[in-house]
Amino acid sequence: MRAVRASLVFVVLLLAVTACAGGGQPVDLANVTSVTQPSPVNVEENPAASATSAKPAPTCDPRASLRPDGPLPPEGQMRVGSTMKAIQDRGQLIAGVDQNTFLFGFRNPSTGALEGFDIDRVREIAKAIFGDPNKVQYKVVTSAGRLDALEKGEVDVVVRTFTANCERWQRINFSATYYVAGQRLLVDSTSSATSLDQLGGKKVCAAKGSTSITTIRENPAKLVPVQVDNWTDCLIMLQQGQVSAVSTDDTILAGMVAQDPNVKMVGDRFTEEPYGIGIPKKNTDMVRFVNAVLERSISSGAWLDSYNRWLGNTGGQATPPQPVYQN
Amino acid sequence: MVTTPVTEGSAPGARRVLSLPASAARNMRRSAASTPGRLFLVGVGLVVLALLTGVVGAIAMQQKQDTIDSLIEHREPVAAASQQIYRSLSDADATAASAFLAGGTMPTELRARYDLDVATAGSNLAKASADVGGVAEAERQVNELAEQLPVYTGLVETARAYNRQGYPAGAAYLREASGLMRAKLLPAAQELYEIDSVRLADAQDAATSPPWFSLALAVVLLGALVAAQLYLTRRTNRLLNVGLVVASGAVVVALIWGSVALLFESSRVSDGREHGTGQVEVIVQARIVALKMRANETLTLVARGDGGEYEAEFEKLARQISGSGSLLVRAEGLAATDETRNLLAAARKNVDDWLAAHRRIRELDDGGSYAEAVSLAISPDAKTSAATMMTRLDDNLAKALRTARQQFAEETSGASNAMLGLMPGVAVLALVSAVGVTMGIRERLQEYR
Repeated sequence: MRAVRASLVFVVLLLAVTACAGGGQPVDLANVTSVTQPSPVNVEENPAASATSAKPAPTCDPRASLRPDGPLPPEGQMRVGSTMKAIQDRGQLIAGVDQNTFLFGFRNPSTGALEGFDIDRVREIAKAIFGDPNKVQYKVVTSAGRLDALEKGEVDVVVRTFTANCERWQRINFSATYYVAGQRLLVDSTSSATSLDQLGGKKVCAAKGSTSITTIRENPAKLVPVQVDNWTDCLIMLQQGQVSAVSTDDTILAGMVAQDPNVKMVGDRFTEEPYGIGIPKKNTDMVRFVNAVLERSISSGAWLDSYNRWLGNTGGQATPPQPVYQN
Repeated sequence: MVTTPVTEGSAPGARRVLSLPASAARNMRRSAASTPGRLFLVGVGLVVLALLTGVVGAIAMQQKQDTIDSLIEHREPVAAASQQIYRSLSDADATAASAFLAGGTMPTELRARYDLDVATAGSNLAKASADVGGVAEAERQVNELAEQLPVYTGLVETARAYNRQGYPAGAAYLREASGLMRAKLLPAAQELYEIDSVRLADAQDAATSPPWFSLALAVVLLGALVAAQLYLTRRTNRLLNVGLVVASGAVVVALIWGSVALLFESSRVSDGREHGTGQVEVIVQARIVALKMRANETLTLVARGDGGEYEAEFEKLARQISGSGSLLVRAEGLAATDETRNLLAAARKNVDDWLAAHRRIRELDDGGSYAEAVSLAISPDAKTSAATMMTRLDDNLAKALRTARQQFAEETSGASNAMLGLMPGVAVLALVSAVGVTMGIRERLQEYR
C-alpha cells in the first residue's frame, strides 16, 4: 500500500514538473520585421566629393562665349576645313543629350522619340548644318559623363541642362547662355520645409556630377546628399519616401512638378545656373557657329516658341538671355 | 529532483530484475559446456543474425526505393521548377524592356507574355517553396523571391501608368524594377536553382551508393552459416544438414538478387544522371546565358548610347554559348537521342543567326539609325529580328530540356523497376533462412534426446 501511495506521489509530482517546464509558445513560421525598399540603380548616399582639380579654377565670366564670325553659311554648304564640314560629310550631328529629364530632354514614351527644350536646340543646329533637323544621332550621356564625352570627342555637342562655370571652361568650351536656371528646392506637398537650411540631417537628392550635388554637400546645415544617375530617379525616390527633398535647377524641378501634382517647389532661387551648349575645347569654329545659330533662333522667335511649348507653364522668365562674348 | 523511497515490498523484485543478465550469462556458460547446449546457442545466434540481416536489408532496400521515388517525384521536379522561375523572371524583365522600347501602350502580345511569365514564376515559386525541406540557404532564396516579386510587379505597373500618361517617370520606375530584378530576384533564382541541382545530385549519389552495411551483414551471415555447417559435419559426421543448406541458399539468392538488382539500379540512375539531369544542367546554363544576353541587348538600346557596359557583358556571355567548347556543344556531346541532338544543333544555328542580327543592330545603333536598330531588336514579326531568333532559340532549348528530362525520367523509372519486389524478397528470404536454421538445428538437437 505504501508503495502504491509513493508511486502516486511520484507520478503527480512528475506531471506537475513537466507541465510547468513546457510553457507553450506560439510558433511563428515567418518572421519579417523589416524590408529594404527598392532603390534606383547606382544610388549613392553621402558620396565622397568628386575629385576636382586641387587648385580652384581661375575666376572668369562663365557666360562669355566666342563671338560668331559673320553670318551663317547656307544650309548644307559648310565651309571647307571647318568642324561643321566634317559633320556634314559624316551625315549626322552627334549630340550628347538626356532622355530622362522631363521638359528638357526626355523620351516620349508614346512615340519613343526624344523631345524637350534642349532637344529643340540640337535640332536647330542640325537644321543649320544639313537643312534637316532630323539628321542627329542622339547619344545619351549622364550628368557625370558630359565632360568626358566631349573631351574624348565622342559627341559634337552636349545639350543637357549644362551649367557653364569656370571649372568646366578649363576643359571644354561653352556656347552663349541659352537659358538661365537657378537651384531651388522640391518637397512633398505636405512638407513644411522651404529651404535647404531646414533639412539638416535629412536626405536630399541630386544627380551625380551636377553642380547641385556640390551645393547640397557644401550646405552648412549638414544635409545627407543622395546622388543618382538620372534626375527622374530623384523624383521617384521622393515619391517612395526615400529622400526628403530634391534640390536642383528650377527647370528640372518644374518637370517633376508637371509629372506629379503632389510635390511642390518651395523657396527662392539660391544659385544661378547659366545653361550653355558644351563643345570640345579645340572646336572654336563650332562654338562661333553654334552661337550664330542661337542668335538666329532668338531673333526668329523659334526660341520663344520652344520656350512656350515646354516651359510656358513653369512660371520662369520667357525672355531669352542676352548673349555675352569674350571680346 | 523527485525520489521515491525504496520500500521493503519492492526490493526483492528489483533485485531479481537486476540479477537477470548475470544469471543468463551463467546459464549460457553452463549450456556451452555441453554439445546440445552449444548447438542450441549456435541456432539462436544464427536465427537472430538472419532476422537482423533481414530487417536491416529490407530497411535499406526500402530506403533506396524511397530515394529513387523521391528523385522522380521531388528532387528533379523541384530543380526544374526553380530553373523555370529564373527563366520566367528573366523573360518578364526582357519583355517589359521590349515593351518600353516599342513605345506607346504595351502591345497585347507583349502584355500577355509578361503576364504569363509573372504567373509562371509565382506558381513555380509556390512549388519550390513547398520543398525547401529545412535547407536554410534554399529557404533564404525562396523568401527573397517571395518578398521581392510583388515589389517588382508593383514597380512595373507604376511604370506602365506613367508611360501611358507620357511621363519619363515611367522609364525611371522601369529602370528601378529592372535593377531590382538584376540585383536581387535573378541572383536568388539562380542560387535556388544551384542549391536544388546540388540536392538532386546528392540524392542521385545516395541512389547509386551500395548499401555496404546490409551487404556486409549478409556476407557475415553466410559465413556463419557455412561455419555452422562445417561444425555440424565435424560433430555428427553427416555431410549435409538440409535446414542449414536451405538457409544458406536463401542468403545466397538474396545476395545475388540484391547485388544484380542494385547494379542495374545504380547503372540506370547513373545513365539518367549523365544523359538526363547532367544534360539538363548544361542546357539550363545555356538558357540562362541566352536570357542574360537578351536582357543586355535590350538594355543597351534602352540606355541609348550610355549602355557600354551592357554591350560588354553581352559579348562576354556570347563566348559562353557559341563557338567550340561552348555550353551548347557540350550539351550536344551529352545528348542520348537524335531528337535532342537535332534540337541542340538547331539551337546553335539560332545562336549564330541571333549574333548576326545583334551585330547588325549594333552597326545600326552606333551608326545613328536608332529606330531601325530598335525595330530589328524587338519586332516579333520580322523573320530576321533578334526577338524572333531569341524566341526560336529559347523554344529549341525548352524542347531539348524536355527530352533530357524525359531521358532522366525513363532511366530512373527503370532503376525503380529493377528494385521491384526486392524489399519483401529480402524480408522473406531472411525469414526462410531463419526457419531453415531452426529446422536444421532442431533436427540435430532431437538426436540428443
